[in-house]
Amino acid sequence: MIKVTINGKEIELEKPVTVLEAARSAGIKIPTLCYHEQLEKYGGCRLCLVEVEKIPRLQTACTLMVTDGMVVRTETPQIADVRRGILEFLLINHPLDCPYCDKAGECELQDLVEKYGPAKGRYKEKKRKAPESLEDPVFVRNMERCVMCTRCVRMCDGVQGASAIAIINRGGHSHMEPFSGGKYDCEYCGNCVSVCPVGAIMSRLHRHSYRPWQVKEKTETICPYCGVGCTVIAQVRDDSIKRVIPKIGSSVNNGMLCSRGRFGYEFVGSSERLTSPMIKKNGVLEQATWEEAISLTAKRLGEIKNKYGGPSIAGIASPRCTNEDNYVFQKFMRVALGTNNIDSTARTGYAGTQKFIENIFGQGATANIISGLSNSDSVLVIGGDPTAINPILGLQIRACSRKGGNILAIGHIKGLEKFNPVTVSPRFYTETLLLEGIVSALKNKKGLPGSIPALEAKIKDISTSAKEVENGCGIAEKDFIRFTDTLSESLTPSIVLGKDIAQSSGGSYKLMLISAINYLMNARIYLLSERANEQGVLDMGCAPDLLPGYRPLSFAEFRKRYENAWKSPISEKPGLSIFEMVDSAKSNALKALYIMGENPVFNLPNSKAVKAALKNVEFIVVQDIFLTETGKLADVVFPALSWAEKEGTFTNMERRIQRLRKAVNREGMEDWRIISEVAKNMGVKLDYSGAEEIFQEISRISPLHRDLTYEEIGKGGAIYPYKGEPLRGVMEDIQMHKGSSVNPDGKLYLRLERPLFHSGTLSTKAPALVKIYPEAVARVSPAVGEALSLKSGDMARVSTRTGSLELPVNIDNKLDNLSVMLTNNFEDKGAFSLMEYTIDPVTKAPVIDANEVKLEKVLA
Amino acid sequence: MGKVLLKNIENPDSADINEYKKAGGYSNLPKALEKQPKEIIEEVKKAGLRGRGGAGFPVAMKWTFASADPKFPKYLLCNADEGEPGTFKDRPILEKNPHLLIEGMAISGYALGAEYGYIYLRGEYPEAKNILNRAIKQANDNGFLGDNILGKGIKFHLAVHQGAGAYICGEETALIESLEGDKGQPRIKPPFPVNVGVFAKPTVVNNVETLSNLPYIIEIGGDAYSKIGTPDCPGPKLYCVSGHVEKPGVYELPMGTILRDIIYTHCGGIKGGRKLKAVIPGGATTPILPPDKIDCPMDFVNMPKHGSMLGSGAVIVMDESVCLVKVCYRILKFLEHESCGKCTPCREGTGWLRSILGRVEGGEGMEGDIDLMLSVSGNMMGKTFCPLGDGAASVVQNFIKHFRPEFEEHIKNAKCRFK
Repeated sequence: MIKVTINGKEIELEKPVTVLEAARSAGIKIPTLCYHEQLEKYGGCRLCLVEVEKIPRLQTACTLMVTDGMVVRTETPQIADVRRGILEFLLINHPLDCPYCDKAGECELQDLVEKYGPAKGRYKEKKRKAPESLEDPVFVRNMERCVMCTRCVRMCDGVQGASAIAIINRGGHSHMEPFSGGKYDCEYCGNCVSVCPVGAIMSRLHRHSYRPWQVKEKTETICPYCGVGCTVIAQVRDDSIKRVIPKIGSSVNNGMLCSRGRFGYEFVGSSERLTSPMIKKNGVLEQATWEEAISLTAKRLGEIKNKYGGPSIAGIASPRCTNEDNYVFQKFMRVALGTNNIDSTARTGYAGTQKFIENIFGQGATANIISGLSNSDSVLVIGGDPTAINPILGLQIRACSRKGGNILAIGHIKGLEKFNPVTVSPRFYTETLLLEGIVSALKNKKGLPGSIPALEAKIKDISTSAKEVENGCGIAEKDFIRFTDTLSESLTPSIVLGKDIAQSSGGSYKLMLISAINYLMNARIYLLSERANEQGVLDMGCAPDLLPGYRPLSFAEFRKRYENAWKSPISEKPGLSIFEMVDSAKSNALKALYIMGENPVFNLPNSKAVKAALKNVEFIVVQDIFLTETGKLADVVFPALSWAEKEGTFTNMERRIQRLRKAVNREGMEDWRIISEVAKNMGVKLDYSGAEEIFQEISRISPLHRDLTYEEIGKGGAIYPYKGEPLRGVMEDIQMHKGSSVNPDGKLYLRLERPLFHSGTLSTKAPALVKIYPEAVARVSPAVGEALSLKSGDMARVSTRTGSLELPVNIDNKLDNLSVMLTNNFEDKGAFSLMEYTIDPVTKAPVIDANEVKLEKVLA
Repeated sequence: MGKVLLKNIENPDSADINEYKKAGGYSNLPKALEKQPKEIIEEVKKAGLRGRGGAGFPVAMKWTFASADPKFPKYLLCNADEGEPGTFKDRPILEKNPHLLIEGMAISGYALGAEYGYIYLRGEYPEAKNILNRAIKQANDNGFLGDNILGKGIKFHLAVHQGAGAYICGEETALIESLEGDKGQPRIKPPFPVNVGVFAKPTVVNNVETLSNLPYIIEIGGDAYSKIGTPDCPGPKLYCVSGHVEKPGVYELPMGTILRDIIYTHCGGIKGGRKLKAVIPGGATTPILPPDKIDCPMDFVNMPKHGSMLGSGAVIVMDESVCLVKVCYRILKFLEHESCGKCTPCREGTGWLRSILGRVEGGEGMEGDIDLMLSVSGNMMGKTFCPLGDGAASVVQNFIKHFRPEFEEHIKNAKCRFK
């Protein structure tokens, strides 16, 4: 126990902390500027100078550690003079442009000056001048206001790990600048903006559009983008989101955000939002009233059900909608239409991967706490760049490296390249051999633990030597050995697994190998998730073979339970997967399709074929916030409320259930309410007063969510396995599919890029993100570019069997010579329009890694 | 006492290892290696050696801290970033007697258990860089450095790292930052370099002159060494005298030599027999002294009692033709330029003081400017991150303390009569 006396108050401390922390723990305020709780200590601003007995010089409270018996005074007339002196120094070259500065009202310098009184105005010299920099589309830098606390640089370097900015020059000429000059070349996380105490680095999105005190509404909600589920605070003025900021102390992201989360909110206020229901008349969508649209939908669905039967109708749920929306939707499909034909884009990888892993390790095997990643002593990354797909999870991997952990990367992971990863890059299509080699090496080093015989039976068959890996994968034996040694020596490893594995040839076999690594290493596995409620859509039973609570439909006991609760029979026949729906549409068997918050015509591979198939469907209903490619095909389109306009819950990749809160008022209906109205018109009662009542029903009948309440979720108490019952081992046989081998020599393949700045097409409705990453580009290696004399910016025609696109080229020197990388985010320029797929028979995920592509230079 | 630090430098080939050996060089390293490292530290303690960089910290104490730290490896850094205006005392060692430094570092490295040493050399000494590199190669070739020094299985490697011209890198933690490849800015202390220094390992940073004393301490023993100069502060000392004296230069004299004697006896008095106006006794940032205050023993213990500091022993002598407002302005201009920008009072205060001084010197001073400067420097003094800011404040305060009428005259007459 350490005893210190601060301002006469005795404080007892368990462990040594700084004087500042000790003072704050006792409610004693010491002014600071360069100090920030998320950042490394600095001691530069000198505002926190305090008197310490027996030390002749004043000491900075933010850097000095307490020692037993220390006596500190923080509020003496001398200290007050010192602070006034420091503030005067900070103000002499400050432009004093508070009336014009967006920070006024939440400026730490302003607050301090207000507290200690203004300076005497005795600075007669010329102030330093630095023109405000508007060279970047998102950030505005005003170095006249900068107090050189370096919080931005310490954030960028030490926490975000982007290392994009620095203090350049010396003394009074010091200022912050991106290494790239005026425009930033960075991850655009904006965490530098969060920590800037003054108006030196600010977001341009809301420039001069409000004063901090005018944003009365400060709604704590969950980011709508990826599966990490960051807590965000939406600040609203006149029902328009002015700013999205993180919250320090929030469990998932603790004060950090990524580019999408921070700058991607503007789609909410987009003028392109749907405002009225629409009905297709003579091939043209025309505005209609809610009544017309609802009754037409109910009538047509009823007719089709009567004529062709419930299984001729299918529903596509949404990993962007809330649990409540999805729950009501699947209940509607099962109860009102009598079909299990419900699925979502979680089928494109996440669902099958999770099912595969849970089949081996039990339910919840992938529900691991994100913040725990940094405490692993090694992280194996495979199948995607976590820092782009799930940026906040990516930060934990970077933090792991900083704490001395090892990053083991299979393939080049761009976002981790500065973090000293041990990388092995197998040749194209030889990932399987590498994984076999790793499993063999671990088996020999660690032995078989004996707890999962079915998996061990598979492991026993695997025997691949380092030499075979060298010959097959092109990885030097010593590099492979270094990799497996590092992995096998770790005690608390984690595996971060991206979707590329499930979407590659032999995906289920690779998943078995990765499961084997997980098993042999006793690791924790994290599944990257691209959508905010990808887990929730599954847990709500929006899958052809699952009931709410992730209960298998095939178990009569579970069907019975829901039949009783819903007072309606449930078909025992599993429904169609999303890809089977497309096939069914193609063969004219599917008569009606109800789509909530999804855009299959763009977001499924071979999107042109999807579009053609959907044209066969007699009746299509789409609920969405924008008129999407799919919406254009629909017979009825409903405008839905967006994420910011409704209550509900999301379940993130940790299976943490979190509350969405309404930030903005907008006329219209939530997705679940539209469905409920349609059901009512069909004579089926699906009435709820609000999202909370739906959740009450979920927690009443889903064994997984039992007894959870909104109140508890709000307190952060909804971490898996909640209070309900996780499903215990229902192990089926481990089935897997090795896929066909491909000889890629001399060919080029189209591969999907998952960018940091975009997510689906939603982000392309956010102008800031479009400014950062404005258009689809084809990324190729220098060698591929050179062969066609292509430079960055040149136009190229990218062609596959399904079509071709003309795209600007971007040369990337980290890329292999077999790939053409393309995103699937920009209208009419999506990679999926050029990709065919096959279905992995086990995971039901689309295999998209065998799309040969031709690249030609387009002459201007 | 013959010369120790400047021994043999009249020989034009003194930097060559053979000449150094002829003059008795490298005879103390073998002697040192016969001793236990602890015994060497004990000798240094008995010798009472203090750091010659400016602060006068007891060397043995620093060494004891570093060798007590269990972390390995340990590093020995030689601070050759001689940047304090007026200081050129290390230069003759670096250029004329590099083997003395190398021998001293080898002994020190052995005493500390350090296997690697760096000489952080100021960027403006390109000549010294070549000389040191050649000397290090010779020492390696002759077995005085390397993996197996003199066949005793003792390892010590030495490399020169050239600074990029920042004054602040003479501050030991900024030096370490710079050596690691970062921007030269001081670090938070504690932890001190003796525990967490370069590459986060225990590190001793000593000045060139300090380390060059080691062979002599081994030669004559700590007790004998402690008899040289002042009892609290023994040893030979290099005084570098510049300005208006007849014979400026570097003088090796016993510690505690009276300032007046340095100027009038050793340097032949004021140039042209003019009148002395002021002396800055230990480098630009040490307090200036008027002519009636120069009967002080030049050592770390006595100078503070006489209102100044020994600093680097850089004596700057100014005769009556000098405008002290201009000198003060020039020093502040230097310190403003060299302020690293990390802490508020130094970054903003040095520039502010320089502006006011510039105005006053240029005849545009205003009433109240002197008090303003005292107030601004008061707001800096004791509040800055490292001693650079304190130094700047102290310069202004001491110039005004001793020569206030000259400042007042500039303001009153709105001109400088020295122009």
